Amino acid sequence: MRRVTSRTIMCGAAGVLAGLVTAVGVVALTQVAAAHGVTSADRDPAGLIEAAHLPPLLTVKGEPAVLRYDIYCAPPGGDPESGAPCDAGGTVYVRAGDSGPFRAVPLLLDTTASEGRYRADIPADIAGSHDGFSYYAVLRSNTSGAVSVVPAGGAAAPQRSRPLGEPALVQLGDHAFGAPARAAARVASAAWGSGDADVGLEPGPGLQPIGGSSFDVGETGTVSLLDEANHRVLRFSPGASKPVPVRVDVRGTMADLAVGSGGEMTILETVGDDGTTPLVRRFDAAGRLLGSLHLAERSASALELGPAGPVALEYPAAQWMPVAETAAGNASAGQRARGRAGRTLANGDELVVQRAGNEARIAQVGPRGVKRSWRIQSSTPLGEIQLANALGDKVVVVLRVYTDARDEFLVLLLGEKGLVTRFAIDSAGWAETAPLARFRLRGTALYALGSTPAGVFVDRYDMEVG
Amino acid sequence: MERLSRPQALAFAAAAAATCALTAATASWAYHTRFVANNCNTNPPQFTSYFTRDGSITVALYAQREGYQWAGGCWNDNDVDDSPGDPTSDPNTGGEGPDCSGFAFKVWRESLNESDAGAYQWNKLRNVHGPYTAARFKTGDGAPNVTYGKTGLIRMDALASSTHIGLIYTANADGTDQIVEAKGEAYGTGVWTRAYRGESSYGGVRRLGWDA
Repeated sequence: MRRVTSRTIMCGAAGVLAGLVTAVGVVALTQVAAAHGVTSADRDPAGLIEAAHLPPLLTVKGEPAVLRYDIYCAPPGGDPESGAPCDAGGTVYVRAGDSGPFRAVPLLLDTTASEGRYRADIPADIAGSHDGFSYYAVLRSNTSGAVSVVPAGGAAAPQRSRPLGEPALVQLGDHAFGAPARAAARVASAAWGSGDADVGLEPGPGLQPIGGSSFDVGETGTVSLLDEANHRVLRFSPGASKPVPVRVDVRGTMADLAVGSGGEMTILETVGDDGTTPLVRRFDAAGRLLGSLHLAERSASALELGPAGPVALEYPAAQWMPVAETAAGNASAGQRARGRAGRTLANGDELVVQRAGNEARIAQVGPRGVKRSWRIQSSTPLGEIQLANALGDKVVVVLRVYTDARDEFLVLLLGEKGLVTRFAIDSAGWAETAPLARFRLRGTALYALGSTPAGVFVDRYDMEVG
Repeated sequence: MERLSRPQALAFAAAAAATCALTAATASWAYHTRFVANNCNTNPPQFTSYFTRDGSITVALYAQREGYQWAGGCWNDNDVDDSPGDPTSDPNTGGEGPDCSGFAFKVWRESLNESDAGAYQWNKLRNVHGPYTAARFKTGDGAPNVTYGKTGLIRMDALASSTHIGLIYTANADGTDQIVEAKGEAYGTGVWTRAYRGESSYGGVRRLGWDA
């Protein structure tokens, strides 16, 4: 051990003095800036233009052929926070089917509506088209001239509305809460915490518990559980006594996860850094970053691995967009130009879902239109459609049923003529997850992510498809 | 000038670096606690006889990409969280942004007087949180607020739990909702897709008195 001399001590003291001088300078500069309220400049409030629109993806005969929008922009009068509506307008461009010229339909203000206050009436010949119609809207602030296109891909990737045709009708009646099915197996579980085999909860006193926000299951049954709060994925192999943690460089906020056949992981961060859109990061099986890509749109709710690579459900376009089809990624324009209303199945078909009141509509769409479809009607309110996926010649749908006091998930196996089988699953949602990350279908097994105050788990339910 | 030996030079550098880091950390805290002090005001609100869901959503959208501050209620409109990384357990850091209930209070133009159902314009730089927690909104506390069946909720109604409240921006085709909310320190304020409507921990809340 070296002897500490008085001269060394003096050097240390001098170092402290030098550090203080440097740091005080930094502090002074920082506080001068803060004292003058120096932040980057406010954006021009007149530039705001946003639109909300619920697309009628799947329609049935007799429904009014109307498209409705709400438009938000700076109100007239110079006070952006006055609370007055903005003066807006716009045009919807619509055509029958997927080809041919678009026809312009003006948006009209419907002052009697409490939402969807701008309406465009679809011309009868287009609305009555056997193949439905495609459309996009160009919305404008009459005060500032700011313009927004919805969906952002415009004519290149218009929104698509299809008639269900002759759907199979499924009547669910009143849901009997409190009789959930038993899982075939609990395939993964972890306590809340930061230990090697734990899953973390995101910090924040006012925050609803958030943790274990997504998961995925590989072909061999390996469960990958996203532990975003601890910046890692826990990999549960069948038969293993404990999970293997794989560190991943993520923000630590709610995210969705999809795992490829080689173990590579794609993670959709639902929060972007300041002023940016959400980020998709790709990692190899060992957690090394392979690349990242910003989404084209403001927000995204779900991530899936499609036949051609990852796709994200992006808003306000309300379309599934490819997010990493090439090694170089897929820039905003490319994402927007390839947006689709439904998820692409392995055979190239599209599966489109829509909840309309107490009814869920499902359609499998091929190159020549709707191949088969279902109308699922319930006397108990329906929440979100968590999952819809093909299983052989059938389709598995998981949706939430709820009242003001209770909720459960309902699993439906649908065949050509209607309902084949159904069972309920406890909602088990103590901690918040990514909004559409609660279920995965692999082979004939349905996996469900749940949580309690003690921890998080993944259960397996075996679907009887025979 | 005599050169310092290697141990002496190391001692000098280590002491300087440690002191600088400690003081810089202090500076960081000082910065975080000064957003409200340097940017926000305590001006009285302005009574508004006409208020609309359209207009309130516009006010909410101006808060997008700004920060989150537990118990806070003041923000600018530069699309940046000017107080990132505030400690989540301290409501007194004076950072930018509202918390969830402060955001609802301000966007809903409510009064500090809980028996007053009138509408009041609070400028974004007015630092105010209001009297309600998320749990109190959930139970419909205050003259302007009522509980409301979740199936009937429309834009600018709210979904509230005992720890969080978010305002409905629009419904999605898959049955989720886009919610405009102050979500947390790591999230800030923005519009995200949520499944709150179906979750039994959330109840519906409506602000009364909209003109349109």
